[in-house]
Amino acid sequence: MSHALLAATAIPQNGMSTDKAKTLVILVLVLPLAGALLNAALGPRLGRRFVNYAGTLSILASLIVTLVVFFTILGADQSLRSTTVTLWTYIDLGPGNLNVDVSFTLDQLSAVMMLVITGVGFLIHVYSVGYMEHDATPHRFFSYMNLFIFSMLLLVLAANLLILIVGWAMVGLASYLLIGYYYERRSAVLAARKAFITQVIGDIAMVVAAFMLVLGLGAHSLSLPVIFATAHDGFAVNGAYVTAICMLLALGAFAKSAQFPLHTWLPDAMEGPTPVSALIHAATMVTAGVYLIARFHTLFDMSVLAQGMVACVGMGTALMAGVIALSQIDIKRVIAFSTMSQIGLMIFAVGIGAYSAGMFHFITHAFFKALLFLAAGNVIHALHDEQDVRLMGGVERFMTNTGRYFLVGSVALAGIIPFAGYYSKEDLLGFGAVYGPGAPALYIAGLVVNVLTGIYAFRLYFLVFHGEPQTARISDAKEARRVMLVPVALLALGSVVSGFLLQFPLPGIGKNVIGDWLNPVFAQYGGTVLAEPSTATVLLTQLIGLAASLLGVGLARQWFFFHSPDAEVVASRVPRFLTLLSLHRFYFDDIYDAVLVRPSLAAARGVRRVIEPRYIDGAVRGVGSALSELSVDFRTYQTGFIRDYAAIMTIGAVGFVAIMVLLVAR
Amino acid sequence: MLDTQQTFPWLLAVASGMFTIGALGVLIRRNPLVVFMCIELMLNAVNLAFVTYGHFLNSMDGQMFALMVVVVAAAEVVVGLALITQVFRSGRELDVDDLSEMSE
Repeated sequence: MSHALLAATAIPQNGMSTDKAKTLVILVLVLPLAGALLNAALGPRLGRRFVNYAGTLSILASLIVTLVVFFTILGADQSLRSTTVTLWTYIDLGPGNLNVDVSFTLDQLSAVMMLVITGVGFLIHVYSVGYMEHDATPHRFFSYMNLFIFSMLLLVLAANLLILIVGWAMVGLASYLLIGYYYERRSAVLAARKAFITQVIGDIAMVVAAFMLVLGLGAHSLSLPVIFATAHDGFAVNGAYVTAICMLLALGAFAKSAQFPLHTWLPDAMEGPTPVSALIHAATMVTAGVYLIARFHTLFDMSVLAQGMVACVGMGTALMAGVIALSQIDIKRVIAFSTMSQIGLMIFAVGIGAYSAGMFHFITHAFFKALLFLAAGNVIHALHDEQDVRLMGGVERFMTNTGRYFLVGSVALAGIIPFAGYYSKEDLLGFGAVYGPGAPALYIAGLVVNVLTGIYAFRLYFLVFHGEPQTARISDAKEARRVMLVPVALLALGSVVSGFLLQFPLPGIGKNVIGDWLNPVFAQYGGTVLAEPSTATVLLTQLIGLAASLLGVGLARQWFFFHSPDAEVVASRVPRFLTLLSLHRFYFDDIYDAVLVRPSLAAARGVRRVIEPRYIDGAVRGVGSALSELSVDFRTYQTGFIRDYAAIMTIGAVGFVAIMVLLVAR
Repeated sequence: MLDTQQTFPWLLAVASGMFTIGALGVLIRRNPLVVFMCIELMLNAVNLAFVTYGHFLNSMDGQMFALMVVVVAAAEVVVGLALITQVFRSGRELDVDDLSEMSE
C-alpha cells in the first residue's frame, strides 16, 4: 500500500530522480551532524580556529546543498515538485503490522523551511564566531548549534510521523542544551528545565496523536503521504476523532511555538546566549508549530473546531504577548514576547487555513527577528552583558551601524511599507478579514496587535538607541566587529526585500511568488486553497493595517522618544489593570507556580521526608539487619577448631555414602 | 600371585581400617604433625583401595589414580609442613586447638 503510493508520488522524469534526492537528503542532514560530532570529539584538542571553521562551514555546505535542492525543485514541472524517498526501513513488524520507513520529503514546503534554517542559520553561526570569542568552550557551543540544525532539518524533511517526532524531540533537546549553556548560572539551568518540561508536554501529545492515527486509519504506517491520502476515507469530516487528533497535534505545536497555555518557557529561554535566541527562539524552532499545522493541513482542513481553536489561541497569544512586551525591561525579553506575538499571528493564519500566508510571515519574521536579536546581541556585547533597557539610551551615537540595522528590524517588525513585515502581516490579516471563525472579529484583534507591535517595537528602539545615555558605561560602547556586523547587515537586507520580492500585495500588480510556490502543496490530497480576498478588501485591509501600525509607532514616539523610562507617566494613560497584567505577564508564571510547581515540589519533599526514609530505605536496611540477626545463630558453628570442621566433614561424607548405599540397596 | 577371590575382601578391610584410623587421628590428636601423618594414612588407604580395585577389575586406572594421589600428597606435604614450620617459628605451641583464629 505504502509502496504503491510512494511510487505514485515519486518522480519518473523531469523532476528529481530518486537517487539524486537520496544523495541530497543524506548530504544535507549529515553535514551539520558531522559538524556537531567533529566539534564535540576534536574541538577541545584542535582549538578555537578549528571549531569556528567546522561549526560554520558545515552549515554553509548544508546551505549549498539546500540551494541545489531548491533550484532542482524550481526547475521541475509544477506537478513533479514533490519527491519522497525512503532511505531504509526502521521498523518492520511484517505485513498487517506497524511499518516505519526512514523517509524524507523534498517539496516546496520543506525547501522553504530548509532555506530559512540553513540560510539564517549560517548567518547566525558566523555571528556566533564573534559573539562567543571570549567563551571558554566554543566547541560545546558549536556542537550544540550544529546538532540543532541537524535536528531541525530532520523535522522539516521527515516524511514519516515517527521521524518527525524524533526531530521534534531533538530540537527540544538542542534548545535545552543551549538555554542551559551557562550551566554555572542557576537561573539558566532552571530556564532550560522549564523549557524542556513544557515542550515534552507537547511531545507527548504528538505521540498520542500518532497512536490515534495508526488506530484510526488502520494503515499500519506512519508515513505522512499515506496518512494524508487515506485521511478522507478513514475519518468523518468534522468528526470527534479527527478533531481530537488535530487538537493533540495543535497542543504539540503550541508547546514548541510558545503559544498559550504553554508559552511561559520562551521568555525564560533568553538565559541562553543571544545567537541561540536568534536561531532557535526566534527564527526556526519556535516556528516549527506553524510548519506542523501547515504540513498537516489535510487533517486540519477536516476539523472546523480544531481550526477555530488554533486561530483563536494564535490571535489570543498575539494579543497577550503584545501587551506584555510593552512593559518588559530586559531587551531580550521584549524581543522574546514580540516573537511570541508574531508566531501567534502565524498560528492564527494557519488556523484559518491561510497556510501560505502563515509561511510567508514565517520567512520574513525569520529575517527581521534574527536581525533584532543579533543587533541586540551587539548592544549587549558592547555594554558588557547589560540587558536592562532602563540603563541604556543614546547607544546609536556609539554604535551607528548596529543602530541603523536595529531600526530596519523594528520597522519591519512594526509592518511599515515597504519593509518585509508589512507584506506578510497585512497578507495574513487580509485573509483574516474574510476567513476564520466569526470573521472579522479576530481581524479586529489583529489590528490591535498591529498597534501594540508598533508601540513595543519602537519603545525598545527609542529606549535603547535614542535619548540620553543613562549610564556612563554607554559612552565606552564600541561598534561590533565585522564578523558580527556582516550577518546583521545581510539579515537587514533580507528584512527589506523579502517582503515585496515574495509577494506584491495588490492582486494584478506583481506576482504572488510565495503563494504560487506553496499553494500546490496545500492543494494536495484534496486540500482547498483559500481564494485571495477581493481587490477592494485587500486594498482596504492594507490601508487599515498600515494605519494601525503607524498609530502604534506614533504613540511610541510620543511616549518614549526622549528616553522617558518613567513608567508611571505612561502607565497613567492606560487602565491600571492592563498595566498590572502586562507587568506580571498576565500572572501565568504565578498561577503555574502556585498550581503546578509548588504542589509538585511539596509532594516531592513529602516523599523524600516520609516515604523514602521509612519505606524505601527501611526495606533496604531491613534486609541487612535481618541477615545480620540471622547470622548471630549461624556464627556459633564457626568455632575455629579444625577438628570440628573435620568432624562435620566426616559426618557429612559418611551420611552421604550411607544415603547412596541405602538408595542403591533399594 | 594373590588369590583373587580370597584376598579381595581382606585388602579392602585393611584399606578401610587404615582410613578409619587416619580419620580418627585427624579428629582426636592435637599435635599438627600427627594430624598430618594421619592425613597421609587416609590418603594411602585410598591408594590401597584404588590399586586393589584396579587389580581385580583388570584395569590400569586404579594404579594411575594412585600415582596421581601420591603426587598430590607430596605437594600437600610441602605446603603443610611449611605452615607448621612457620607456626613453630612464630613461637607458638604446636597445638591445633590453639590455632583457632578463624572463629568469629
